[in-house]
Amino acid sequence: MIWVNWRQHRSAAYGCLAVLIGLAVYAIMVGTSMRTAFGHDGLITCLASSKGAVGCPDAVMTFTNEFGSEVNIAFWSVALIVPGLIGVLVGAPLIARELEFGTWRLAWSQSVPRARWLAIKLALVTAGLVIVGAAMTAVITWYRAPMDRLTGHFQHNIYDFEGLVPTAYILCAFGFAVLAGLVIRRSIPAMIAAFLPWLAIRLVIEFVFRSSFMAPLTLTCGASNCQGNNGGYGISAVPPATGHIGDWVLSQTNRGFLYQPADRFWAFQSIEAGIFVALAAAALGIAVWLLHRRAA
Amino acid sequence: MTQHDPGGGRPALRTDRLGRRYGRVWGLRDCTLEVPAGVVAGLVGPNGAGKTTLLEMIIGLLEPTEGQVSVFGETSRAGTAETLARVGYVAQDHPLYRDFSVADMFHLGRSMNPRWDQGLAQQRMSAQGIPLKRKVKQLSGGQRAQVSLTMALAKRAPLLVLDEPVSSLDPVARQEFTQELTAAAADSGLTVLISSHVVTELERLCNWLIVLAGGRVQLAGPTSDLIAEHQVGFEQLVMAYLQRPPRAATTDDPDSSKAVTR
Repeated sequence: MIWVNWRQHRSAAYGCLAVLIGLAVYAIMVGTSMRTAFGHDGLITCLASSKGAVGCPDAVMTFTNEFGSEVNIAFWSVALIVPGLIGVLVGAPLIARELEFGTWRLAWSQSVPRARWLAIKLALVTAGLVIVGAAMTAVITWYRAPMDRLTGHFQHNIYDFEGLVPTAYILCAFGFAVLAGLVIRRSIPAMIAAFLPWLAIRLVIEFVFRSSFMAPLTLTCGASNCQGNNGGYGISAVPPATGHIGDWVLSQTNRGFLYQPADRFWAFQSIEAGIFVALAAAALGIAVWLLHRRAA
Repeated sequence: MTQHDPGGGRPALRTDRLGRRYGRVWGLRDCTLEVPAGVVAGLVGPNGAGKTTLLEMIIGLLEPTEGQVSVFGETSRAGTAETLARVGYVAQDHPLYRDFSVADMFHLGRSMNPRWDQGLAQQRMSAQGIPLKRKVKQLSGGQRAQVSLTMALAKRAPLLVLDEPVSSLDPVARQEFTQELTAAAADSGLTVLISSHVVTELERLCNWLIVLAGGRVQLAGPTSDLIAEHQVGFEQLVMAYLQRPPRAATTDDPDSSKAVTR
């Protein structure tokens, strides 16, 4: 069965490999020049000093101005949809193609029950997608490493492409697409039917729920902080409010600031990845159950 | 060489008041029939008579709404490995993976069937001059039909079921397929159930006849006995029973073939 699945899905695997290679070439080109500039701008010495990046705002500004455009909103928008595209392109045809071409009669009349056929296929393809997601994340993380030292990991265009969530996004889109393919029975409509809810959930979680995954901390304003900081909200390299790289300042209250500290990155990643993996598991579970029942 | 007598005198196939409903429409109802071991049985019926529904329940692709199927005395349970392994199936239009080579298709058969006979599969391909390396999409319709038949035979199941195997083939391919099937059945002592609305082809192939119309069995028995009893030719016999009103009154819509693939 491993061979059968490899034979059926190897062109998708080659496609993912090509995307990865393209991404790696880009990352190595930009990442290398970013590393060179990081050394030249004296940022290493600066970060090593007692005040960290707060002590040398000019050097930080120069560096982020030069490379900030590499991780700008356009890049974020493209990269936003890529995990979803990978998921639905692999997931939608998985069952729908068998139904479209009539090969389900061949596949399901061999001596392997169809629910088992699907479970094995899903296990193997999911494993492949985890490898693809992990490799993509590793490439992006390596490439962004110098920038991350100045900005932390909580900004949208960083958080969404590092850690656990990219892989979880892929799996969720995949799960939705497999189920849609079984129900709708046609690949292209199934891709659309899976992608749109995936994107909606993805954006709602990012912009509505993410900031409250954990109760924010309160920073009481004293003499040494909260000064002249109408730019204190949101996430910037060094929030003036907290003066600490990577903190995510949510809002100002009359007592001070609410914020998520930078060291909650992995906790947040685990929560968000957990949500998307649970959605994927639910969709795939329903697909196996439906197919078994339909045998049936 | 008769390899199979797994039934030990029991019928190769028995269906007992078998029925399948799609929503509110019965695709097939009250279907009771018996096919003895070793015969080549033809299943005739107009489009929408419930042929595909019946075949899919026999091979375990579809669960009956009522009644049951048994193959060589063992009750079938849809979608289980044991039931699936007992029946070889050549589906309508001979579905194969287009970008697989013939060897790839056999590799699939080998990994999904415990009794797969690779020697038989390869020998049949070389006898017919079909290269194993050739992609399915480069094969002619007749060659695809032969690959499908070979996959079903190499599964080494005692009962072989074919759904409209020749209706998509040109006359030459039709004849070749029929010859191969007859030879294979005689060779291995298989029991064969073949559905078709191409009556002339069935006359050459079958020694057992089942006529299905209006979702019910209208006529069943050894071809020679039926012809002797009715004193007409094969084709007239079939036509006479196809045109009869259903044996029992039914208000069900027989034209449910569209639902069959669901």
